[in-house]
Amino acid sequence: MSYDDVEIEDMEWNEELQAFTYPCPCGDLFQITKDDLKLGEEIARCPSCSLYITVIYNLEDFLGDSSKQKNLEPAKQQPVAVA
Amino acid sequence: MYSFLFFTDEVNEVAREEEMTFARNGTTFAGDADLEDVRLHQCIQVDIEAGFWNPTASQKRTRNFLQVTMAEKERPVVIKEEEVWSWGAGTDGQLGTGKLQDEHLPIQLHIGAGGGLVSVLSCGGAHVIALTTGGRVVTWGRGNCGQLGHGDMVSSLQPKPVEFFEGFIVTHVSAGWNHSGFVTDTGKLFTCGDGSFGQLGHGDCKSNSFPVMVSYFASRHVEQIACGMRHSLVLLEGHSGHRVYGFGSGKHGQLGISEDKVGSICLPQTTTGLEDANIFGINANGDHSAALSAEGCLYTWGRGFTGGSDVNNPQRLSSSLSFIQVALGWHHALLLTSEGEVYMLGGKHHGWLSESQRMNPVKHLSEGSKEVDLGKIPGLNGIKVLQIAAGAEHSALVTEKALVMTWGWGEHGQLGLGSTVDQASPQVVKLEHRPPTIHSRTEVFCGSGFTFAVRHLK
Repeated sequence: MSYDDVEIEDMEWNEELQAFTYPCPCGDLFQITKDDLKLGEEIARCPSCSLYITVIYNLEDFLGDSSKQKNLEPAKQQPVAVA
Repeated sequence: MYSFLFFTDEVNEVAREEEMTFARNGTTFAGDADLEDVRLHQCIQVDIEAGFWNPTASQKRTRNFLQVTMAEKERPVVIKEEEVWSWGAGTDGQLGTGKLQDEHLPIQLHIGAGGGLVSVLSCGGAHVIALTTGGRVVTWGRGNCGQLGHGDMVSSLQPKPVEFFEGFIVTHVSAGWNHSGFVTDTGKLFTCGDGSFGQLGHGDCKSNSFPVMVSYFASRHVEQIACGMRHSLVLLEGHSGHRVYGFGSGKHGQLGISEDKVGSICLPQTTTGLEDANIFGINANGDHSAALSAEGCLYTWGRGFTGGSDVNNPQRLSSSLSFIQVALGWHHALLLTSEGEVYMLGGKHHGWLSESQRMNPVKHLSEGSKEVDLGKIPGLNGIKVLQIAAGAEHSALVTEKALVMTWGWGEHGQLGLGSTVDQASPQVVKLEHRPPTIHSRTEVFCGSGFTFAVRHLK
């Protein structure tokens, strides 16, 4: 089961990991690369534990110029109420 | 660390005769004022092993005299001053064991806290801040954002004193996901670590590797800081008026500064709705915020528990119970009542109890008629609880009989039960048994995926 649903705009770009990250409750980071996102992958995994999150994003934002990451449109699909 | 325990009266007697100079916790003292200090502390602890005391021949005779006196009276001869254990996720050195590995059972540590004893710990995402009895600060664990306050961005696998605070007396500390807050006895607030969301309160989104004073509060007296995942709360000294402030990410309402949705703010703003409450404690973890009033009322704001919607302003939990402690996780909150009972809000994820496992589900209404699930923690069977702590997805408590119990998510061994299995109800963590006395006090502290226990022996 997905630990959480997180909007891409709430994730942080990590230069070192070359991935979007979000805090994992184990202390490590959920991670997903731009390449993953371009492939339509929506699961960001934590390298240290079994948990993963569902990333909410608009695929079209990643198919074009990847330098536009900063100005992501709100996700097209209805954001799931995070709780 | 071994110490000799001397009793006040005997020490006073001998000290007057011999004008001894003792070393207590690394500090040399002598004379009348110090005898008062001795009286306050009930006993003096002379750390011979650490070489603090180099007695003269005369003092050696005195020491022998004291030891003989104690032996005659069958008083305890050698005790440890405090015992510290850690367990759980160790991926960033947060366990202080010198290793980067998880521990599924409690590991006993030796924290050289600059000669002082650990008075309180605050555990964050993967770092720990220890406050010593003398107001010094020691940190370890993940340091990639400067959250350890050592002036660099590297992790420390061993406890390391924060030299910045030499000459300060720090009275309150808080570790967030990747940032840290420190309050001094003069009411000054310092922050360091990740500032990406403005959670350091300096008016920008920069990170700091040395503690920096939050100038917004330069002319105010700060009492407490609480650091969450991406936000911070501050409590000012006083009894009424605007005393609670928030800064950092407010995306889930965790700053409590506006009815409307806010993004991130990098300068403190007042949390509204607590002006008339006599708040004595604030808490932050994940995207949650909480405050307790002296009257035992709990206020929560931020991300909703149990799938509820976000709450932008502090909401008082309508309950006849009187709460004396609150501990926040990422999806749950533990509440300790004045009767020593533990309740939980939320917890659908791991630090949780499923609906069927709730022994005494009780519905409470928070102001604004939002229904809140408040479940009594099962399996305690009337055992009185003295203290509670919450990690991101696990929970811990200390019972009246000084037992440490844990439950919730266990994948990293953060329950300290020797396995990685989740637990739905509190289980006893096996620490070296020591019968509780009036002079001992056990406390437990949780970081995101790890746990610390401290047993103070006076």
